[in-house]
Amino acid sequence: MLDSLQLVQPTTVAEASEALAEYGDDAKIYAGGAELLLLLRQGLLQTDILIDVKKIERLHEISWDRKTLVVGACVTHQSLATDSSVREHAPSFAYAESQVANVRVRNQGTLGGNLCFNDPHSDPGTVLLVHEAAVTLGSRKGEHEIPLRDFFSDMYATALNADELLLEIKIPPLPIGMNSAYVRLHRYQRPTLGVAAAAKMDNGTVEDIRIAVGCVGPTAQRLPELELKVKGMKIADAKRIFAEQKNYLRDRLRPVTDLLGGAEYKLYMTSVFLNHALEKAVGNGVPNT
Amino acid sequence: MNKPKSTCSLSLQVNDVSWSGDVPVEETLLEFLRVRLRLTGTKRSCESEVCGACTVLVDGRSISSCSYLAFEADGKTVLTIEGVATGDILDPLQEAFVRNIGAQCGYCTPGQIMAAKSLLMENPDPSREQIAEWLSGNICRCGAYGAIAQSILEAAQEYRSKR
Repeated sequence: MLDSLQLVQPTTVAEASEALAEYGDDAKIYAGGAELLLLLRQGLLQTDILIDVKKIERLHEISWDRKTLVVGACVTHQSLATDSSVREHAPSFAYAESQVANVRVRNQGTLGGNLCFNDPHSDPGTVLLVHEAAVTLGSRKGEHEIPLRDFFSDMYATALNADELLLEIKIPPLPIGMNSAYVRLHRYQRPTLGVAAAAKMDNGTVEDIRIAVGCVGPTAQRLPELELKVKGMKIADAKRIFAEQKNYLRDRLRPVTDLLGGAEYKLYMTSVFLNHALEKAVGNGVPNT
Repeated sequence: MNKPKSTCSLSLQVNDVSWSGDVPVEETLLEFLRVRLRLTGTKRSCESEVCGACTVLVDGRSISSCSYLAFEADGKTVLTIEGVATGDILDPLQEAFVRNIGAQCGYCTPGQIMAAKSLLMENPDPSREQIAEWLSGNICRCGAYGAIAQSILEAAQEYRSKR
């Protein structure tokens, strides 16, 4: 049983901003409940008021303006996994969405809710980092955009202020010629490890590369130093570099031992999955299940 | 901006029967079905969207009723295990589960059948692999998975031949 709750249902961003300003810390934004209701039930979170933002039409849209894919915060994982424009312009992201938990969670859970919750064991954020996605935040003071990498501040923590609402996720397609893949390791509903890679090849060498790793430490993150190191290398040499980077990965990813695996195991598997992700990205750009 | 409210008015169809009234904001669809409507086929189990025992369909899509607030179903249609048969005539899925012994203790079975129902509504000709993928979120502690998959394959064939 859940403790008593009260509900506010704004229908515009302005109304939602008013509600956030008025109820502030007594309220939680409710965008689907797939994560929030679990925490409330387990007593890990308390709130008196839910601000249900799903009545705001703008937050349900997926649009493509020929430059960027714009996804409203309340679009469900299932919609993203099956949407034709998402599959065309961000295929690895669509694949990651198709792997989130189970079909019931995908039907109910939303991308905005997932990113704001920032559970370290999650799929979508890792791929979005490779796309260099940005998030639009709104409050009474107006709207502003920040890169997703700055939005993920720590485990279960984001740069979102108490009076702010996540409105949209802006996903640029990868540069022309760059193909991507997302590979994940899972035993339970939540992934143990997720690796996203995107690479552009030039005559057998890596001309450009982007790598992100999720689930190992507190938040998903890009690995810019490793990207620099393997640029200009042949695939076989890049894979050798990945295998030699245990200390770098440990410092950078800050692996955590938890129910899904020990820190050393996750580090080892990160090296293995970096290889898999790179091979799949340069193979055909279409990740396999 | 309206003041926060502690109840919501709810009008919905459950297994083709209309219901209207007020529900507390925190009432889950599982509580609404089991306690208010006495439809106890839908089971409470993990309460964390993992096991699938509480699976029901809302507008044809499967959800975990344990973690879905009842007010969300306003204006929608809900299908539970009690609404799957037509009178005394079992659904092909139910027939196939009986025939193949697709249940041992039976606790997960309503959820398995509702998950299978939503799969067949979306994909009338699923492969065994697609069945396994779709039902990966429905746990059977007795381990009747083989018989469950076989039941769904047979029911799918029957659905297709009836159309």
